[in-house]
Amino acid sequence: MSTLTEKSKGSHVGRIWVIARHAFTQLVRMKVFYFLAVFAVIAIASNFFDLPQHEGPESVGINVLRSIKSWSLGTMTLFSVVMSIVATALLLPKDVEDRTLYTILAKPVPRLDYLAGKLLGVLLLVLVSLALMDVLMTAVLQIRASIVLAQQLEMAHALSWQQDAIDSVRMETAANGPSWSLQGAVFAVFLRASIMASLALLISTFSTSTLFTTIVSFLVYFIGHFQADARDAFLQHGQAGQGAAGRFFTLLLSLVFPDFQNFNVIDAVIEGQSMPLLILGKLTLIGLYYAFFYTIASWFIFAKKEF
Amino acid sequence: MSVPMAETNAAVEIKDLVKDFKTSFRKEALRAVDGVSIRIMPGEVYGLIGPNGSGKSTTMKALLGLVAPTSGNCAIFGKDSLKVDSRNDVGFLPENPYFYKHLSGAETLRFYGKLCGLKGKMLEGRVSELLALVDLESARDRRLGGYSKGMLQRIGLAQALVQEPRLVILDEPTAGVDPIGSRQIRDLILKLRERGITVFLCSHLLEQVQEVCDHVGIIFRGKMVKEGRLEDLIAIEDQTEIVLKDASPELISQITALVGATAGASLVRTGKPRTTLERLFLRETNQGDDR
Repeated sequence: MSTLTEKSKGSHVGRIWVIARHAFTQLVRMKVFYFLAVFAVIAIASNFFDLPQHEGPESVGINVLRSIKSWSLGTMTLFSVVMSIVATALLLPKDVEDRTLYTILAKPVPRLDYLAGKLLGVLLLVLVSLALMDVLMTAVLQIRASIVLAQQLEMAHALSWQQDAIDSVRMETAANGPSWSLQGAVFAVFLRASIMASLALLISTFSTSTLFTTIVSFLVYFIGHFQADARDAFLQHGQAGQGAAGRFFTLLLSLVFPDFQNFNVIDAVIEGQSMPLLILGKLTLIGLYYAFFYTIASWFIFAKKEF
Repeated sequence: MSVPMAETNAAVEIKDLVKDFKTSFRKEALRAVDGVSIRIMPGEVYGLIGPNGSGKSTTMKALLGLVAPTSGNCAIFGKDSLKVDSRNDVGFLPENPYFYKHLSGAETLRFYGKLCGLKGKMLEGRVSELLALVDLESARDRRLGGYSKGMLQRIGLAQALVQEPRLVILDEPTAGVDPIGSRQIRDLILKLRERGITVFLCSHLLEQVQEVCDHVGIIFRGKMVKEGRLEDLIAIEDQTEIVLKDASPELISQITALVGATAGASLVRTGKPRTTLERLFLRETNQGDDR
């Protein structure tokens, strides 16, 4: 007797995409996009935050633009990291608890396809969320930058500034408005969230609860911000740092735990500096390495897991 | 070594299955399944019965590759259960399943169909066909969150059948379902048998197992204690049953006298046969056999 699947067995990519789309829909129907309203409020409110001033009146407008970028990128980081960790930590245990995992794995679905699909679904959600927030931030920034520029030019003309000074103000305002570097910074936020999602996936393959996965993931997130300092201190001041074993240990540490200080380049973009493509490329490679490493490690554990 | 033809034809082949579970607080592993062997031929309906914790679900999970055997092996149509391709020909309905509540009945079937590589018109046709089979056409666009327990079991059965598997594994398919829903699921199992689909089920409802299965196995404390054709197992070889309709008391007396006069034979029991409580319930709620 021939079966339907003999006619069409499906591919790995097809199955991963089906699971990813389903995970995305599942999360969307949990009404996670409500946070966009909160983001909109923060993006608009950041126009009015009164920061301490130590510079001349010509910098007031620039500081507002920095404030918008700072609050927006900070909120993006917060939402994307929380969403990555919590959503990933939730999906696997829920499927096990509801026994829907049995029905999926009882189909011709390799366990790697299941894991990759779930991860991709979460990343899709984070990507769409960040894209929507990016559009909001860019719109607010664009409007405010044109207002700031108009005010600066008006002031410059009133004070009869030289053309060089006017061009300089124009350039500085443009550098603090919407730019490709800013889009690069948003992409860096996405990469950092991707690392956290794949790490949460790894933890949830052996964790017994969503709470445990969430707490451990956040711990690793914080460790990631300090591990470079700890590694340097260990190598420079500790005796172990002199030996090969010490160096191997620190190498192993950096291979397993991500160094989130690499992402400090986002702060430079907030200050109006540009992000070189080389740096963005390096961050992309770092993101891909950890996402791949954690997913493969997840697969090793999940492949042997019994339900 | 050449494999006999009959070996490759078995729908389910479980050989000397042993499954131990390690527990955190005990030094000795817990043996859930102890040397179980089951062979189910295509087209058979096999019922595995046993009390709670006897190893029924673990046996089924081992067959689906959800747990790895400690020793022994399981195969579906000759393919090792631990390999993904063995799942091309099997559908599974777990005990008390909770499908994704945010999906409708049709979306659920589409999701599982796509996982099996179905798409386009073939998939849509299959979804409609299955919804008709399990009598859920009117609820096709309703979210599963609003389904009753019986409807959930039926949509679960439909998802198990989505890729037209040759083997269907049902773990307590009528658990928690009311008598009407239970009867519908029983009728569906009979339909599957008519279509030549092999069914491997476990249930606590022995009467239902008796109604639908042609082979049964009794598992107790992880060991198979009795197995074989249902007819052979439940028949009382030295007794014969005659059921009469509209028999007069005189006729009964004559038969009783005749039996008494025959050497070696004795009358064990006379009386009126009784219907089952399930049949009575279904008749009174107009959901009887004529449905």
